[in-house]
Amino acid sequence: MEIYLPIAEMSVHWMVILGMGFGVGFLSGLFGVGGGFLLTPLLVFYGIPSTVAVATTLSHITASSISGALAQWRKRAIDFTMAGVMLGGGFFGTVFGVWLFALMRRAGQMDLVVSLSYVLLLGAVGGLMLNESWVSLRTARSGGPPPVRPVNHVWIHGLPLRLRFRQSRLYISIIPPVLIGFLVGTLSAIMGIGGGFIIVPAMIYLLRMPTNVVIGTSLVQIIGITALTTLLQATSNYSVDILLAAMLIAGGVVGAQFGVRAGGKLRGEQIRFLMALLVLAVCAGLLWGLVVPPSDFYTLQLGT
Amino acid sequence: MMRRWLLVLVLLATPALGDESLVSGVSQDLIQITSNYTGSDIVVFGDVEEQKNATGRDIVVVVRGPDSVLTVRRRDRVAGVWINHDAASLTGMPAYYYLASSRPLSEIGQAATLARDGIGLASLQPDTVHAHHDVEPFRQAALRLMTSEGLYREVPQGVEFLSETLFRAHVPVPAGVTRGQYDVEVYLIRNGAVVSAQSTPLFIDQTGLERRLYNWAHDQAFGYGLAAVVMALLMGWISSVVFRRPT
Repeated sequence: MEIYLPIAEMSVHWMVILGMGFGVGFLSGLFGVGGGFLLTPLLVFYGIPSTVAVATTLSHITASSISGALAQWRKRAIDFTMAGVMLGGGFFGTVFGVWLFALMRRAGQMDLVVSLSYVLLLGAVGGLMLNESWVSLRTARSGGPPPVRPVNHVWIHGLPLRLRFRQSRLYISIIPPVLIGFLVGTLSAIMGIGGGFIIVPAMIYLLRMPTNVVIGTSLVQIIGITALTTLLQATSNYSVDILLAAMLIAGGVVGAQFGVRAGGKLRGEQIRFLMALLVLAVCAGLLWGLVVPPSDFYTLQLGT
Repeated sequence: MMRRWLLVLVLLATPALGDESLVSGVSQDLIQITSNYTGSDIVVFGDVEEQKNATGRDIVVVVRGPDSVLTVRRRDRVAGVWINHDAASLTGMPAYYYLASSRPLSEIGQAATLARDGIGLASLQPDTVHAHHDVEPFRQAALRLMTSEGLYREVPQGVEFLSETLFRAHVPVPAGVTRGQYDVEVYLIRNGAVVSAQSTPLFIDQTGLERRLYNWAHDQAFGYGLAAVVMALLMGWISSVVFRRPT
């Protein structure tokens, strides 16, 4: 049965949308990510206007993050101080991002900005992840000890405005978390992602947070950012389609449960290796669309 | 718009006795887009009164969507990447244009004559243009792209005669058309000149849940956004309760 989406102003088949939600939900359960980087390009490919796709995907991420966050909360593995500080930066980041989004849309460069940001970010993250997981796959096979990363972050400890983060057992400046929050907020508004694959490495390698609080804290941060961006997109760009969101979430939350179960059968580095391949595949697909001469040099948009 | 109505009024008000004229109607004056709308057809029908003879007489049916702005962009290669480079905004172009005629337009009359009455895709000209360069390639691109999206169409022989004077045309209204007031125009043409014309409004609107959601999103954007967030949180929470593994 076809369903007419009131904001996207087009008819979609409900099975396709549910299926997309399920598939992305499965992968996000498997890999422990929000899946925004998959869902947004998928929706655009299906013909949903990119403005609506970016804004609506965020609801899907909010929903798929909440069950994980609740589980971590029961384990008391959330640093709310850290999440709060990052959200503070994230608030300004989303405001900036939504403003940039509207500006780019008027200039007609929205699709380019979305595609380019995706190619750069996915290429970088996918490359790093592939390298890291490949190294640990090799060492796991040869039985040797995992390589130790030499990390030197003395500069972070020299910054002012230090705050005690009890749950993370850290006493550091609030400037790095605020900046990370700002960056992720901006990307969230432009790209329709939760930013988990930026926040988690940043927390581990940059802020040196203990890994047991990283997952819960990043999920709270992601929920906060996506909820905020949804609100801002709804009020300034009218681009949130609640009917589309409901169908995506319905498929997504079920898919995520199957994904989590499937993920239990794989080892951590295997999952990361597969995820890296997926990220790079999406990146390559988007890059292809940017460099291959278009079949039609003109594009049309109804409205300004 | 005004001009067209005046034309219709004049033509309707002066049917001198014995002159050919036109009576027409539309099967529907309101199309409501509901959640399972996948496009529909309207039927435009009519009769030629006081017809002189069947040869050299033609009927053209035009369904014209609300005026809108078409923004056309041209992609150019910059640093190896294809980006939108030049753009032109064409205002006053219809969001939908469907033309059915009893014969191909080229056989009915001269393009220039017909264009004066707004008949034919080639006659569509923007009111104003915002661009820094030659507009014609952008107008051509707009016509071509709208045609490939099924929003602009000319169908020769789309008007069928059921008898000497009685005619009928099926006009598709696809899903995804712009909402608003459409005009259904019927022209009686003899030897390449319009002798009678009629125009009927047709309204296309969302209805039911879709309409309410659309209004809600625009009138109370904050409440709508908040509802979207709360819905996401609730659905996520419910799923985690439903699927929680027994411990």
